[in-house]
Amino acid sequence: MTLILEHVVKKYKDFTAVNDLNFTIGKGEIFGLIGQNGAGKTTTFRMILDLQDQTSGNITWDGVPMKKVNRDYLGYLPEERGIFPQMKVEEQLLFFGELRGMKRNELKKEIDFWIERFELEEKRHNKAETLSKGNQQKVQLIASFIHKPKFLILDEPFSGLDPVNRDLLKNAILLLKEKGVTILFSSHQMDNVEELCDHLCLLKKGISLFSGSLLDLKKQYGKTKLTLRTNVPLSELEKMAGVKEVKVDRDEYILTLIDETFAESIFEVVSNGQYIEKFSLDYLSLDEIFKDKVGGNGE
Amino acid sequence: MVNKLWTLIKQVYKQKIRAKSFILMTLLYIVVMVGIMFWSDIKAIFVNEEALEIALVNETSAELESIFVSNDDLAFSFPTESKETLYNQLKEEKFDAVVVISEEAEVLKADIATYTPLKLNDQSAISSFVQYAGKIYGVQQLNLTASEADRILNSEAIITNTNLNEELADGKSEDEKQSGMWASYFVGIVIYFFIMAFLSMITTDVASEKGSRALEMLLVSVKPSTHFQSKIIGVTLLALTQFVVIFGVLFALLRFTDNGSKWKMVESIINELSYSYVFYVIAFLFLTIILFLIIGALFGSLVSKVEEASQVMTPAIMTALVGFYVMISGVANPDTLLIKIFSYIPLTSGMVMPMRIGATDIALIEPMISLALLVLTVIAIYMISLSFYKRSVLTYSSGGLIQKIKTVLKVTT
Repeated sequence: MTLILEHVVKKYKDFTAVNDLNFTIGKGEIFGLIGQNGAGKTTTFRMILDLQDQTSGNITWDGVPMKKVNRDYLGYLPEERGIFPQMKVEEQLLFFGELRGMKRNELKKEIDFWIERFELEEKRHNKAETLSKGNQQKVQLIASFIHKPKFLILDEPFSGLDPVNRDLLKNAILLLKEKGVTILFSSHQMDNVEELCDHLCLLKKGISLFSGSLLDLKKQYGKTKLTLRTNVPLSELEKMAGVKEVKVDRDEYILTLIDETFAESIFEVVSNGQYIEKFSLDYLSLDEIFKDKVGGNGE
Repeated sequence: MVNKLWTLIKQVYKQKIRAKSFILMTLLYIVVMVGIMFWSDIKAIFVNEEALEIALVNETSAELESIFVSNDDLAFSFPTESKETLYNQLKEEKFDAVVVISEEAEVLKADIATYTPLKLNDQSAISSFVQYAGKIYGVQQLNLTASEADRILNSEAIITNTNLNEELADGKSEDEKQSGMWASYFVGIVIYFFIMAFLSMITTDVASEKGSRALEMLLVSVKPSTHFQSKIIGVTLLALTQFVVIFGVLFALLRFTDNGSKWKMVESIINELSYSYVFYVIAFLFLTIILFLIIGALFGSLVSKVEEASQVMTPAIMTALVGFYVMISGVANPDTLLIKIFSYIPLTSGMVMPMRIGATDIALIEPMISLALLVLTVIAIYMISLSFYKRSVLTYSSGGLIQKIKTVLKVTT
């Protein structure tokens, strides 16, 4: 059971929002769609959900064109936050569940489960408009998957959440994944993407810069980030072979290497056969890769 | 799909019917209606007006006492004191007015002297007494007998209508036309108020769902067309509910107060109306409201946030307002060209055509054409709106109505 996008193009009169987009999401996978504002993420989501027609290309779910897929299999959390302001929290969730064909009894159990998990018990009978922004977002999030969809799209689910709620959401997403839900989400916060995603697609102005597994993306850049704590002065570090750039971060140096093969020789020089407190060679963080890929202007 | 439609309709209906604004609006209508119906009783409780004291000085030889007969509003007296004494008493406010009646060239002349100016109504009432006295005086000058004079003043011609044109509906008597006119006036007002209330309700509702992005979540599981239909059906049901409540209360009040005397008045109007008239009124009433609801939902889908709803509603409200005023002009004269033209325009025909059917002699084919036009317009606007709604519900743009339509067309074609 997979979602496949093949050569998807969305053109408006005077510009192309999405250009030749291709990616595949496997069953039970968490897939991240990353890009700046206006990169074409929401347009892509809308095309997948059949809320907008693509100009060309195919989008299929398990081999079936999206237009013919049972709508109740799908869940969607739009980027902009909002629910029915006049409806009470429980009423709202019942409505969204019933709309997707769920029986009231089953629905009530689900609602109880998620309301408790998201710490919304006290707000259960409050009108949505009286809730804080974060709580409204949690209600909307529950509404997007209360009907147990097979495929869930979350557009910027983390924005506006405090660290505690972000963790709640992260765990909920992982729980859904465990239950076999396929999840596609977008985020500006790369640490979330890094923690959750198996695969991702990097979009820039409607064009895919990378699509595949997170590890593959990182391997493209190699282990070129070297963090160390040493007494060797900055001027000397900068002169070492294979060092492209050196940044000072409090009592640490962060070196960008041309290639990971230079790490060994650097280790020999800075340790000089002695004990060294910190010497860590890593892949670049997704945040750094993103900035590099989209042109140093990531949000 | 039927289940989804039903779930959506239920949500619209339940949410709106419990809304304080809806309940208050319904109550307000009832209060206003009760107020109008029992105005004279209510007035009597709060305002206990005493009759105006009016002194009459008759400087002619004619006998006027039998003409100036006191009633609830005016109490006439015929003091024998001199004019000057009476004027002094007027200044002391012993009288509200002193009317001096004299004669000049065989015409009656009256001077109404006051200290505190009279209200328009009282002025008119006194004037009509004087006018009547003038006529009597004129007749008396001709030396006619009392019965001869009475015949001149009270004779009325007997009028019947016969129309030989078979294409016309059977010629209506003046009574029928009067009844038809008042019934149509009432229908026009009902349509107007329902349009105003429910047009803004549906526009605001769609706009707020779009603005709050709840619509995006809904559209994943239901088609835009289903959503569009649910709004129209839900709000129509709501309008029907309000209609039944208001008219149920109105009926009960008419029927069971004053021993049903008010109901008899209404009955006498209804008896003058034909079945075809009732059919047309109901058809025009509901089709017009549905037409405005479709337009309201479409306009609601164009805005980006609920604050802009009133801005896009303006053209529809103006149109309804024009129809309403044209209908009102028909109360004075229902046969004007203006009325004729507006009775064919689908957005206003609902308010204007019932007046033509009820209060004028109109060819049978005319309301049929107008109704057919309305039905076709409803269907056409529905189809157009449906296809446009699909494009506009997810397009957010700024600017005026035309600008919004342009943006929708630009980004979705």
